[in-house]
Amino acid sequence: MSETHEATTAGVRSARFRAEREAGWKVLEQLVEQVEKHGIRSLGFRQASDLATHYRQAANSLSVAREISLDRSLLAYLEALTARAYLAVYAPPENLGGLGRRFLTVGAPAAVRSSAGWILLGFLAMALGGVTGYALFFENVAWFDVIVGQASDDIRGPSATREELLSIIYSEDVNVIDQLGAFASFLFSNNVRVAIFAFALGAFLCLPTFLLVFYNGMMLGAFMALHVDRGIGLDLFGWLSIHGVTELSAICLSAGAGFRLGGAILFPGRRTRRDALYEESRDAVKVALVAALMLVAAALLEGFGRQLITSLEARVIIGWSVGALWIVWFASGRRRR
Amino acid sequence: MTARAPETGVRKKRTWPWRRKPRSSKPEEIVPPEGVPVRFTVAGLGVRTAAQIIDILLTLVFVAAFMAILALGFEAPGSLLVSLGALFWLGIRAPYYIITELLWNGETLGKRMMKIRVVSADGRSLTPHGVIVRNLMKEAEVFAPGITLLVLQDMSGFWQIVVLLWIASAMAVPLLNRRRQRLGDLMGGTYVVHLPEAVLLPDLAASPAPTAERHVFQPHQLNHYGAFELQTLEAFLHNADTPPTEPVASIRQRETRAAIVDNIRKKIDYPDAVPPHEHDAFLRAFYVAQRAHLEQRQLFGERRIDKHHAAGADRQVAEDGP
Repeated sequence: MSETHEATTAGVRSARFRAEREAGWKVLEQLVEQVEKHGIRSLGFRQASDLATHYRQAANSLSVAREISLDRSLLAYLEALTARAYLAVYAPPENLGGLGRRFLTVGAPAAVRSSAGWILLGFLAMALGGVTGYALFFENVAWFDVIVGQASDDIRGPSATREELLSIIYSEDVNVIDQLGAFASFLFSNNVRVAIFAFALGAFLCLPTFLLVFYNGMMLGAFMALHVDRGIGLDLFGWLSIHGVTELSAICLSAGAGFRLGGAILFPGRRTRRDALYEESRDAVKVALVAALMLVAAALLEGFGRQLITSLEARVIIGWSVGALWIVWFASGRRRR
Repeated sequence: MTARAPETGVRKKRTWPWRRKPRSSKPEEIVPPEGVPVRFTVAGLGVRTAAQIIDILLTLVFVAAFMAILALGFEAPGSLLVSLGALFWLGIRAPYYIITELLWNGETLGKRMMKIRVVSADGRSLTPHGVIVRNLMKEAEVFAPGITLLVLQDMSGFWQIVVLLWIASAMAVPLLNRRRQRLGDLMGGTYVVHLPEAVLLPDLAASPAPTAERHVFQPHQLNHYGAFELQTLEAFLHNADTPPTEPVASIRQRETRAAIVDNIRKKIDYPDAVPPHEHDAFLRAFYVAQRAHLEQRQLFGERRIDKHHAAGADRQVAEDGP
């Protein structure tokens, strides 16, 4: 009986192959499971060196088994085991320490500087829209409703009087819940959505981003024109300054990031479009994150600052000095290697 | 033979992306320094959508808890509640995906449940950049279109078309590339794979069948089948290791087994009758013998894909011949 046993097993070479190596695979399986559950740092020195050795042996086994074995369950097992071990050995989670600091001190300012041209394009689109809206309002007041649209609860329209407009600009409420509401409604207001879309839709060939920012600029221009018409342009300027400098810049920044993505697809140069998109997205995303940061700051300024600080001078000074701070941040920071 | 032959040979036939043969069944290969290609199966859109839905439900649970606390603890008014809830969802959405994928190396809770994982396209570690990009773009590719879709009927016809075009182009990107990468994946240099599950079944050839000395096969009897038939038999035998509990299923299994035995005996001209109680032993003995034979042939450089290998060899001879 034992002789026949020998004979059969000896006949199937791949079965012998498996019997000789199976113990090593099992060890590797356990090590990989431990790495997947507790991270590669949970391994001791011996275990780590075992992982490397057994991984190489399993890869070797796989290579041989692909040639000599017809046992499908064995092949599937080795494929899966090697793939998992590969991920454990070559693709461990990156060390995340210092990620935030590196982003704030080096990555973000450098990304903004390198995207300066695209961001300028964003500002240009908004300015163009602003001028258009402003001019259209003075050509015919009816344009205001077309551009801004008629929100039912907003009294600010072509029919509003000077006093009504002023009362909005200098309204004071100190209710905390209201301020929280203002903070929330800010983040949901038109502008944040515009910023998100301006970035994300940039990848769809730039055009949606341009239209969005242009249209947003038009609304702003029409608003400005309405207030200038009533002789309170400066007051609106102060009202907008305190958060608007930050907020509108954020929109233009995210539009710039969007343009950069769209530009990579439209004008990839010598690279393939896939490569261009991959490379340009590195900085574009950083700029978008900066824009997000600015939007949160703007929300704080609007939700709390605007209702608490009602003097025109203070509003202008705070708004523009915050703007200057952003510039200082972008200009600072070491150059990237 | 004629002048036209080289022309048709050189001319490249144009294939449209949707006419090409589906290549997703072919796994992605990464060649590590060891030189043995490691294969991953790209996760399809279905399983990824399922993981996405699980994740959305999970984050919505958090939002609901947040709103419940606000409503009960602070007695916040309804309109504020809704806007704060929506804000909270916006605020935790992208960070949830980014943080889980960074900490768990490419897995969110939904992906864990569906056993899929984000990996880097270059085969190295996932970078924070890649994770952040793919999840920020998720806003533009998944959430924004989805939310817009909910309010689609309030829009004018023109905008409805724009939104549908937008959704169509966002969906088209993953369908048009081999790795099913959406725009965010392309930008971040990532793609999603099935996490392979390593289950080692017992080797059918390791323990000899109890009737091995009675069921002996001659080499000419083993020349009929190829690897495909062998592996199909292997799958059947592995299934038979766990006999079904239902009597109906067990009867069906016995019938299948009898049919297989009959077919094999007819095909290979096996002279002796096999009584029903020896069917399983016969199949196992045949499996061992056939595998040994085919692996032997393979070592000598002759891979037999399936039972048509003989016909294929004949055709090869006919083509190479004069």
